[in-house]
Amino acid sequence: MMRFLLSVCLFLAFLLPNVSGSFALGEDGSNPVPPSIDFQRDIQPVLTRFGCNSGPCHGKQRGQNGFQLSLLGFDSDFDHNALTKQSRGRRISLTRPTASLLLSKPSGKSPHGGGVRLPVDSPGYKLLLDWINAGAPRSVPNTPELEKITVAPNEKTFGHGEQQQLKVTASYSDGSTRDVTGLTVFQSNETPISAVDEDGLVTAGQITGEAAIMARYAGNFSIFTASVPLPGETGQPASIAGDHPVDQLVSKTLVRLGLDSSEVAPDHKFLRRVYIDIIGRIPTLEEAQKFLDSDDSNKRGVLVDQLLANPEYAEHWANKWADLLRPNPYHVGIKATRNYDEWIREAFRKNQPYDEFVRELITAKGSTFRNGNATFFRNRRKPDELTTIVSQLFLGIRLECAKCHHHPFEVYGQKDFYSFAAYFAKVGRKGTGISAPISGSEEFIYNKNSGSVRHPLTNEVLSPKPIFGEAPEIPEGADPRDSLAAWMTSPDNHYFAQTMVNRIWTDLMKIGLVNPVDDLRATNPASNPELLKHLGDEFVSNKFDIKKLIRHIVLSKTYSLSSIPTDRNAVDNRYFSRHYRQRLRAEVLLDSVIQITQVPETFSAMAPNSRAKELWTHRIGSLFLDAYGRPDPNQDPPCERVSDPTVVQTLHLMNSENLFKKVTSDKGWAAELAKSDIAPAEIVKKMYLAIYSRYPNDKELDIGVNLYENEESDRRLISEDLMWALMNTPEFVFKD
Amino acid sequence: MASNKNHSSLSRNCNGITRRNCLQFGLTAAIGAGFTDLLKLRSDAGEKAAHLPVKAKSCILIWLDGGPTHYETFDPKPNAPTEIRGEFFPIATKVPGVQFSEHMTKLAEMADKISIVRSIRHNQGNHGAGNHYMMTGAPPRIPVGCGAFVSFHPSLGAVAAHDRGHQNGLPAYFSIPSMSRSGGPNFLGAKYAPFVVPDNPNSSSFRVRDVALPRGLKDDRFANRKDLRTIVDQLPRFENKASADPARSLDENYTQSYDLISSPAAQKAFDISSEEDAVRDRYGRTSFGQRALLGRRLVEAGVPFITLYEGGWDHHSDLFKTCKKRLPEVDNTVATLIQDLEERGLLDETLVVMLGEFGRTPKINERGGRDHWANAMSVLMAGAGIPGGTIVGATDRQGYSAVDRVLSPENFASTIYRKLGIDPNQLLYTPQGRPAHLVSDPTPITELMG
Repeated sequence: MMRFLLSVCLFLAFLLPNVSGSFALGEDGSNPVPPSIDFQRDIQPVLTRFGCNSGPCHGKQRGQNGFQLSLLGFDSDFDHNALTKQSRGRRISLTRPTASLLLSKPSGKSPHGGGVRLPVDSPGYKLLLDWINAGAPRSVPNTPELEKITVAPNEKTFGHGEQQQLKVTASYSDGSTRDVTGLTVFQSNETPISAVDEDGLVTAGQITGEAAIMARYAGNFSIFTASVPLPGETGQPASIAGDHPVDQLVSKTLVRLGLDSSEVAPDHKFLRRVYIDIIGRIPTLEEAQKFLDSDDSNKRGVLVDQLLANPEYAEHWANKWADLLRPNPYHVGIKATRNYDEWIREAFRKNQPYDEFVRELITAKGSTFRNGNATFFRNRRKPDELTTIVSQLFLGIRLECAKCHHHPFEVYGQKDFYSFAAYFAKVGRKGTGISAPISGSEEFIYNKNSGSVRHPLTNEVLSPKPIFGEAPEIPEGADPRDSLAAWMTSPDNHYFAQTMVNRIWTDLMKIGLVNPVDDLRATNPASNPELLKHLGDEFVSNKFDIKKLIRHIVLSKTYSLSSIPTDRNAVDNRYFSRHYRQRLRAEVLLDSVIQITQVPETFSAMAPNSRAKELWTHRIGSLFLDAYGRPDPNQDPPCERVSDPTVVQTLHLMNSENLFKKVTSDKGWAAELAKSDIAPAEIVKKMYLAIYSRYPNDKELDIGVNLYENEESDRRLISEDLMWALMNTPEFVFKD
Repeated sequence: MASNKNHSSLSRNCNGITRRNCLQFGLTAAIGAGFTDLLKLRSDAGEKAAHLPVKAKSCILIWLDGGPTHYETFDPKPNAPTEIRGEFFPIATKVPGVQFSEHMTKLAEMADKISIVRSIRHNQGNHGAGNHYMMTGAPPRIPVGCGAFVSFHPSLGAVAAHDRGHQNGLPAYFSIPSMSRSGGPNFLGAKYAPFVVPDNPNSSSFRVRDVALPRGLKDDRFANRKDLRTIVDQLPRFENKASADPARSLDENYTQSYDLISSPAAQKAFDISSEEDAVRDRYGRTSFGQRALLGRRLVEAGVPFITLYEGGWDHHSDLFKTCKKRLPEVDNTVATLIQDLEERGLLDETLVVMLGEFGRTPKINERGGRDHWANAMSVLMAGAGIPGGTIVGATDRQGYSAVDRVLSPENFASTIYRKLGIDPNQLLYTPQGRPAHLVSDPTPITELMG
């Protein structure tokens, strides 16, 4: 048997390889009866492997030169029809098989825009020819179905430059298996760490880290994890030793990758971090002084609890959620936008459990003038729009692709998409809809008890169905959204909890456990899957209490690590062996500037002395917030925030008229200090505390005092210039 | 994926590029690509790349975002059936036998000074992907949708900036009035991101915001502040480039900002009001017209690369109505720019290029538009020794596909690099030390190399 398998393997090279169990064999084992060729099982993988049905070629909508295949071969009926029935049978000629366009085009015998893909002597060509000779059947009766594929090995630890050939095995419903390595498409999510070639040969790069290599065959996936540790010896990461589960799980990954952890950061760094992360501004002079001077051994824990209880917590975290939910007031109207913003803020003010927050949003009803959450359904009006946003925001599942074709890196297809969309089929709207240009009217959201969603191709009416698992039955007359919300927010739905914890982790740590933050899938695994699971479980067991989750993370040693790298972790940018410097968010930076200069910003459509984090729409003009990359309200959905430093930001911080006025204002803090009789040394200390959240060291104090004591110096100008200079450094602009 | 169903959201995404200068967007994890050891990179590049003869000191890249139609500009097909040839008629040009479409009148009159490449084709029919391929000469590594703003490879402008460095305090790469998609520096680092001038030079109050010192701040006090800033800045920087310390990118930004603020050349270039009215009128009193004039002023100031971004060329509907209005404006402005450069003796050392990410479908759709089509497009090139009157390649009789002298975006990028004296065959290194060929196929379009 094995010898025979080998001969089949050589005979068909890598294309129709090992077949075990399901086909008749030749008597002598050398001249096999050709196995029957099934379109879906045998031909589709060839079309996929050689790119025929890929997006740029015949897989695109409307096809290529009139010949269209389903993207990546997810619709075999459609593709078989396209090959055998359309174009007056020229694509496949049963009478003269070699004249079939399916063969003459990709072999280069007829002109082909895509070039030569399958030379005449290639195994792929031969397989297609055999299939046409056999009558080009759609399916062979009793063909076993593909159940799964497995890649072997599924993980390996590599030295730099080491290689590993992957083997992919397909398992069928009759228990048979095949080696389909030659027909598998491979892709690495981190090529510099580990690259893979088209035959499945993995080569580790020169970079330390882990890469996921996806193997895709006939719509099935399997993942190979490549770990490439830093060469050399390292001990346990000492600075995060302890019993905090976050530290233990981070430690585990660091050990696997041969990485060290940085030292724990000094008090002033921790102080500044938690203020920025929890309430969205740096500490004031007094707040910094109080913390730094305290001898309480538990002062970090006490501070975290105080900050979580501070009303500014709600405004800061609501501002983050507003980024995700906020509509354009020109689209839905000012009052509806304002109400919605207020609803979001209120949820954070009362520390509403996250599952309840999402349930209220998904099932919102009533007037957009009264119930802020109803604006969600004024802004997103069609079941398909709602499907895309709800799945991505709350489940980290990007269904957008599946709207028009099967998701290329996922198991979801159009039927899954529109069955999910059916949950929103009965959302009724009364009152005045969207009416450009202001859309200022009131609208009512209700369950209208009628309405359906159809599959765009089959036109079949689809009943509501979640994208995985089971949702509660929808009783007659009930709002289907209730069932959806119950399924989504169930403690058993790991996607729900993990998406939120990944968002919060990203906010606190700069880099997500999963990146992008809302793209959770097997083919895009977390950098530390156990940690993601732990945080998700913790969040569920604390009844989706966001404050408790934040507290859990910021009181880990991992959170408090210094940003300064060691010799054995400088290469790490995603496994949390050190803190990663992060530019302050636009609103945080502006609110901190206001706090330091003591000159408020004047925002239109806001009460006097409002803070940037309280703005209810990005439409409220601010050159500062624009320069520092707040989302663009003109884009739908808004462009992501720019988090890198840019020249535009630097120029703005240095030169903008507005900041110049704040620093030099007669009513500002610099003027107040100058007018006072406070000694220069005290002024310098105050400046450092207010801007850097720390005392100046002796050298810094000397330099500062010298500025004031120079004979020609003007106290006012010196105070302004020192303030300007301190604010124009990375120690101010970054969370370190 | 383009589809009829979501047309409206598509065109919004397609044209809506953020008004701010997003430095780097990517589908890949951009971690670690934020900062580059610039000196190392430069010396590496210097060792490996023999410098080529420089034809062009500067390049003005006019980017018609969305994918301008080849039929209604430089590749009319009068003999194609009605549903393909469209409403416009061909016109004769200065070059016998060569026809343009009817609204390109001024460029037709100077066809002996410009070249049209009619045979570039590629396989990326989405805006995000097409932008990336044409703007960097490298295909996107993974499928990229229409609305996406991706970066896998440094753009033409960023590479030019990297090669030349900034001069006279001016950034080496401008993008006006916004960054084009994929127009960023990728692994070259934020220093080579375009400097974006969002302000409208057609406005009487035009000034480049934040480059001028705030009113009331005297030069000497600004100098004192600058010194003081250096003294109080004590945050440690991480030397290991793999640590991707963002504080070091900030340092680069301060250096560039100081250079820009103190540059007389910059202040002069930005002072568009010193231009004579007649000249401003010739360029057209539109924001695009005045931006082109600003582009010429930046060329005079020695800026190596200027992108003039002009959105709104994604004509899925009402193509003829829109083109009737917009093509004559573009025709006038671009013709004026080329002529003005020539009159000032700058054309021989300035490369002018105009294109978008792809051409448009042969068959006019039911909404009177044409859809995305990467099998054919027309690219205008002039100056820097580009032989005038040259038409490179051809599409088939109906304009479906480039068939004669089929060229790739790689050939296009290599042509620009060679004109600028940059070796497209050089190896660059990412901050992780991974080598990357500047262009995988370094063959330029030989007909244009003179």
